[in-house]
Amino acid sequence: MDTETLTRADTTATQPLPGDFAIWVFIFAELTVFGILFTAYAFARESHLALFNMEQRLLDRQTALANTLLLITSSYAMVRSVLAIRADQIARCIRWLLLAMGLGCGFVVLKIREFAHDATLGITLSHNLFDMFYLSLTFFHFMHVILGLTILASVTLRALGGHYNASSHTGVESAGAYWHMVDLLWVILFALVYVIH
Amino acid sequence: MNFASQRVAKPYFIGALALFAGQIIFGLIAGMQYLDGSFLFPAFPFSVIRTVHTNLLIVWLLMAFMGAAYYIVPEEAQTELHSPRLALLTFWVFLIAGVLTILGYLFVPYSQLAAMTGNAILPTMGRGYLEQPLPTKIGIVLVALSLLFNVTMTLAKGRKTSLNIVLVAGLWGLALLFLPAFYFPVDTVKASYSWWWVVHGWVEGDWELILSALLGFILVRMTGVDREIIEKWMYIIIAMTLISGIIGIGHHYYYTGAPEYWIWLGSIFSAMEPVPFLMLVVFAVRMLISRRHEYPNHAALLWAIGTPVMAFLGAGFWGFMITLAPVQYYTHGTNFTAAHGHLAFFGAYAMVSLSIISYAMPHLRGRMANSLRAQRWEMTGFWIMVISMFVIALALTGAGIVTVFLQRMGEHPISFMGVQYQERVFFWIREVAGFTFFSGLVAYLTSFFVGGDPVAAHGATVPRGR
Amino acid sequence: MQQTFTKAMARNIFLGGAAFFLIIYLVLTVDSWRQIPIRDHASQMSPAAERGKYLMDSNNCIGCHTINGEGAYYAPELGNVYTRRGPDFIKAWIKAQPIGGYRQMPHFNFSDKDLDDITAYLQWVSRINTNHWPPNIQG
Repeated sequence: MDTETLTRADTTATQPLPGDFAIWVFIFAELTVFGILFTAYAFARESHLALFNMEQRLLDRQTALANTLLLITSSYAMVRSVLAIRADQIARCIRWLLLAMGLGCGFVVLKIREFAHDATLGITLSHNLFDMFYLSLTFFHFMHVILGLTILASVTLRALGGHYNASSHTGVESAGAYWHMVDLLWVILFALVYVIH
Repeated sequence: MNFASQRVAKPYFIGALALFAGQIIFGLIAGMQYLDGSFLFPAFPFSVIRTVHTNLLIVWLLMAFMGAAYYIVPEEAQTELHSPRLALLTFWVFLIAGVLTILGYLFVPYSQLAAMTGNAILPTMGRGYLEQPLPTKIGIVLVALSLLFNVTMTLAKGRKTSLNIVLVAGLWGLALLFLPAFYFPVDTVKASYSWWWVVHGWVEGDWELILSALLGFILVRMTGVDREIIEKWMYIIIAMTLISGIIGIGHHYYYTGAPEYWIWLGSIFSAMEPVPFLMLVVFAVRMLISRRHEYPNHAALLWAIGTPVMAFLGAGFWGFMITLAPVQYYTHGTNFTAAHGHLAFFGAYAMVSLSIISYAMPHLRGRMANSLRAQRWEMTGFWIMVISMFVIALALTGAGIVTVFLQRMGEHPISFMGVQYQERVFFWIREVAGFTFFSGLVAYLTSFFVGGDPVAAHGATVPRGR
Repeated sequence: MQQTFTKAMARNIFLGGAAFFLIIYLVLTVDSWRQIPIRDHASQMSPAAERGKYLMDSNNCIGCHTINGEGAYYAPELGNVYTRRGPDFIKAWIKAQPIGGYRQMPHFNFSDKDLDDITAYLQWVSRINTNHWPPNIQG
């Protein structure tokens, strides 16, 4: 997030996409990589159906569901913070941003506990093919949550510094777009890895 | 050339070209031994010739990178080099240490060289590309420290352009990634795993940063395109390099004892490694199309467009062919890998070195561009070398494919030596192409001695200090 | 829209992407480091095998041969040579060099103990779990 991009005024008025164009290129690249990973998962699952069905049952679905709700709520908070800054309500925007980050941190805490629990069950990258995919996908996504939180934190700091207002808030929208992507990927992951068998 | 201290680059470039010629000669000998094992045997066994061939490659590339750094960093920073005398001293230390090491390989049996240089105290010898005795390895670190000190001090006191920052950061990365050369665990699998930190870390990571910065610099100079645009492209390209290349290291871990998950992770991420090379081609072509003026050194323009194209073919395309795990299961450890290695090292790193030399040497000799006659010699050398190397890669690929079918896949697999014998025709083609490559090199080197009136800029002058 | 994609943005993607994937690589390497000793039976590497490895390194064997596909492609694969040829053949072969032919191998002045150590190392190497590589005994 840089001064030049973020302080560029009134770009949103003429843009069909909210936020910076670059973040959409980036999101597209990210979705492609995850798309490849999900496809690889699907192929592996097809050839090892029995193993995948059995191993999926060992996963902690309650925690995963809680995490899904946390991220969806967090996405909602993000929407509210973008709406707030568009209405020039800076303090409210910051409050919603903090809530979004708090819920994201909740996800991180729950996910770390789940990883720790997995370790005690002997679920490792080398245990079997399912565990390899489960850990790779969820850890790769986990790193994206951390990256998303870092982006949100830097946007919050800039908001506190008074860098955003109703006419100039590309940074908040860009962060929001990225955060929604992180949420969307988790919903797909949750369905694919935890639920569908 | 704006600063007197840039002149220290000249001995580096000359030294690099001399070692390059040496590398090719030892390549020809090695190729001959592929066809007749008794050639120069037992005085110089294949392992010695190969070690000299690959080590000369590394030394001359490092020397060219260093020369490029001493030339570019002051010009970009708009200030004199911190210490030209240190740079010159470092050149002689590096050259003498390099030559002594090569003589050591040639005239002392390897195990005796190991015993003489304290390999028993800290074993580091006996790994590909890192065959150097311990004192040489320490020498490389000292030379690198001297270079880093010099260019970092220069950068610190001068203008900090993105190109310069990436170049200097790339040189720091080059030095840091050499340090695992001192870590040689007894566990063979861990040794192989960490060996790639140096080799993959250099050629599929850090050196691509240096390559992008060098190419960016000559394109800024030769096209007059706005530096902001060129530096933005550079950042996108090196971002893609590391995003694909860091986990892409997994394509070296499939069948060497590392855990199985690398088969998936390595395949997925290394499959994206050609992308930055493709972007490099698009970038160079676009910059040349949108150039603001005609640059009189056409040979340098040819190198600058040839480098990304050949890098894409060698590193991108040939690399992709053998990167996916199910394919590599059959091609791992065959001449397919050698084909990729030759075309990638030449297309990316040898050619970018020759590009910067082609751009900078006329300036170092007090002119903007060589005479048209000299440029014709240089461009003839370019085409002969590029086409010959392409033929070498095709021949080695042919040999690799025969190995895959006869030794790896057949119902009744044939032994290694039996297959090698059947592949002779490819090794002959490779050797002949090696000789034409050498003739191209002679034409290229001749261009430095062809006289004639230097070409001046047609009308427009190159904008300085952009 | 293109103009909003600035150099600073490209630089941030470079720095962020590099840091992101370096962290992932470090985590994977920590895991690999725990798995490798299991996969290659590190605990079974005898002092003799260790000495054999040192002899092979300090004579630059991979200057001609490959071990698990890494090295030079001038001479046969050694990762599975123990299972392909057996210890006695290997020792006799090394002692007999050079025997002429299409490719040539130098004579190394190895003692009988040296040769025992080298075969001990080659035996250890042949048992590494390399995900079923090479495809067949010919290497």
